[in-house]
Amino acid sequence: METPPTFRAWITRSFLVVAGVLIIAEGSARIFFGRSFEGRFDYGYHPNAGFDDSTRGSVRLFRAGGRRFHPQTYAADPAPGVSRILVAGDSVPRGPSLAASYAKQLEDMLNSAGAPAEVWNLAVPGYGARRIQITALRALRYKPSLLVLHLNDSNEFEDEREYRRSQDNKGWHPRTWLMKSLVFRRLHEAKTERIFWEWLPEKVREKSGLSDVDAEVAASAKGETLDRWNARVHEITRETIAKAMAQGTSVLLITQRSVVKDSSGQLSFVESRLEEFAASQTNRHVGMLSMRSVLQAENLSEMFADGSHLRAAGHTRIAQAIRQKLIELEPRSAVR
Amino acid sequence: MSFIDWKYPFFLAAVAVLYWQLPLRGRHWLLLVASYAFYASWDPRFGALLLCSTTVDFFCTLALVGERRPLRHVLLASSTPFAWVSLCHLGSMLAPPDQASSLVAPPLAWVATAALPLLFTLAYPILWRLESNRRRLGFLWLSIGTNLGVLAFFKYFNFFANSLSNALSFSGIQAGWTLPTIILPIAISFYTFQSISYAVDVYKGRSNPARSFVLFAAYLAFFPQLISGPIERVGKFLPQFEIARIWRIDHLHIGLRLLLIGCFKKVVVADSCAILPNYAFDPATPLNWSWALLGSIAFAFQIYGDFSGYTDMAIGSARLLGIELSQNFRFPYLARGPSEFWQRWHITLSSWFRDYVYIPLGGNRHGMTRTLLNLWISMLLAGLWHGAAWNFVLWGAWHAAILSLYRLPGLARMESGGTGWTQHFAVPLMWIWTLIGWVLFRSGDLTAIARWFNGISTMDVTGALPSAGAWAWLSIHVLPLFAWQLACRRHGCESGLIHWPWPVRGVAYTLVIAAIASAAAGEQEFIYFQF
Repeated sequence: METPPTFRAWITRSFLVVAGVLIIAEGSARIFFGRSFEGRFDYGYHPNAGFDDSTRGSVRLFRAGGRRFHPQTYAADPAPGVSRILVAGDSVPRGPSLAASYAKQLEDMLNSAGAPAEVWNLAVPGYGARRIQITALRALRYKPSLLVLHLNDSNEFEDEREYRRSQDNKGWHPRTWLMKSLVFRRLHEAKTERIFWEWLPEKVREKSGLSDVDAEVAASAKGETLDRWNARVHEITRETIAKAMAQGTSVLLITQRSVVKDSSGQLSFVESRLEEFAASQTNRHVGMLSMRSVLQAENLSEMFADGSHLRAAGHTRIAQAIRQKLIELEPRSAVR
Repeated sequence: MSFIDWKYPFFLAAVAVLYWQLPLRGRHWLLLVASYAFYASWDPRFGALLLCSTTVDFFCTLALVGERRPLRHVLLASSTPFAWVSLCHLGSMLAPPDQASSLVAPPLAWVATAALPLLFTLAYPILWRLESNRRRLGFLWLSIGTNLGVLAFFKYFNFFANSLSNALSFSGIQAGWTLPTIILPIAISFYTFQSISYAVDVYKGRSNPARSFVLFAAYLAFFPQLISGPIERVGKFLPQFEIARIWRIDHLHIGLRLLLIGCFKKVVVADSCAILPNYAFDPATPLNWSWALLGSIAFAFQIYGDFSGYTDMAIGSARLLGIELSQNFRFPYLARGPSEFWQRWHITLSSWFRDYVYIPLGGNRHGMTRTLLNLWISMLLAGLWHGAAWNFVLWGAWHAAILSLYRLPGLARMESGGTGWTQHFAVPLMWIWTLIGWVLFRSGDLTAIARWFNGISTMDVTGALPSAGAWAWLSIHVLPLFAWQLACRRHGCESGLIHWPWPVRGVAYTLVIAAIASAAAGEQEFIYFQF
């Protein structure tokens, strides 16, 4: 009669090492890095990721999961007499650095003009309308007097892709079981986040379908896709405006304009339908600022670092224009 | 369902657990059902083809040892392919519209499966009327002919028809025929070769045939090695099915270890390396010497990681069922010459060609000219086995040429160990030959081959700079495997970590698991599935 193997025989010592290392790694990730893992796999669709108000009376904006806020700390409630302005958007308002961004430059201008204000930079690279809305609605609980929405219709591809990624391993399908482990998921995400990809030349990545550029260009080339994206930007922005106004917060819409080099090597603005939409939303509490109108008189090559992103000088011009706009915006904006 | 599909671990675990609970006959039935389910997960219709081979081989090999089965058994068994096609058709009516088309068999399949019981039931008694030796020869050729016929039609018909058409148009004659679209059934090259060796071994009296149809069908369709081998011999393989294996804990340990290592080779090494040849062998890529070299080296590791990874997983899966499959790879890139290379690379295929083509042709028994001729025939067929395209034939010819060249005394001495300075150059020299071989293998056509040689000859020093990151990419994916293999080499087993101290093993396994989880490339199909 064959005797069944003992437990000792089933579990080898090397297996115990593997199990031990993995358990310790998983436990450490959950205990010591739980906070920064919050929303890690929601790719911007987790409303609380990046906001830390666990410390009494203050809110800390930090890099967590898919959110890469510039690190900033503020009081949870605005100080009396201090205006609070929130800037939400993508990599354009985020700026080359926090200090160079138009949000921070605006804060400095307002404070030096004797109008105490704090301007939060809530912009995150690649965020489209849907994720900007999630950020803005979460931030509205900190009682801003003005919400600045930097509108851009070129991030909807990324919004959709990140949404799919955030849903990929939801649920309890057996395919997702391993991905319930933070360690495995994080290692697995190295693939999609291309941690090692930078080693490969861009052309190689494109050839292997590993670059989003081709997919985005292909998607953007379809008229109906662009129409769908535009309609979504409009609908979601309308919703965000309505929710902000319901809370008594004024809204300033800044419309993005990209530039392109013409045949003579001069930069010129690319057509956009955002201005038309933003103009249709303006009223006493909703203002609008077009990047084109602000920058058209300037030397565009000094303003733009590339086709979309601004240099510090460009941010300064936007900050000045907002300052000017705030003076016109009545009556709820406390900022003068 | 490939080995790296998420469904496979669940499938394998369920089969393994059930397998060890069942008596012997139950195990045969379980393996039969599981194997056909596994095969049907690729394209259910081709199960009929596998059943055709199974039926013909089963009755023919029994006849080789003088065992005659009642005609009703022959009729019943040879009707199973038709029943399978009918079942697929029934499934197409119940399946969702998007899947229904993949279940509908073409008219030719209906005709062929309907004709099989008639023709085979007719041929079977006729062959039995022949005198003993002629009868045995008749049944042997019926078995071989069926397998080669199936292989020739599905794999080579269009290739030869196209080649003929091109040759005719070259001589000014337009062929004017329209070729049918023939889908290559997965695994066809592997199971037909296994069937042929089975019939030949039984004919030569080296092995006994399976007496049970279910046992034989389970043996031929055994899912861990069905899709891409190893191509097993009946003498070693069938007896393992015939006795009730006893569960041992090392089945689990060895099986899991091989599955893990195979997965690492495939997901981390092969799939990551694949990115580079995909770029370098693309006609649109401006190829310089650095990219040409990088692409070919990366492909060498891609194909090795891909195929030996598959084989490890196949051997590991079989081991969980207590069945030992043959070793298919043994450090092939450390070979000192072509003969040694073929004793280390795809061992079961090269030994198949040696035993069933080269030696029957006369081997090296009839002088140098005849030996070389036999060598060239075997290698050209081995090239053609890999795919119905001229670049594979060229690849076979290249290896035949190297094998012929190494008959020269100096090179032969180098391969057998060498003396003096030559012993240090044997492996690097063989590496160069192998790389050129892989270029022929990977390039789709002669233009691509010419493009590669043109690229490698552009000796522009600055050409290496843009690909520096890609060289680093290749290194981080290949060097761990290389280090691993060097560590295992002295034990002669590619996956032999068992000799390492347990803490080192534990850390190594953990790193392997982490590497698999973070493997940076997209999943790619196994290369050998197309053969």
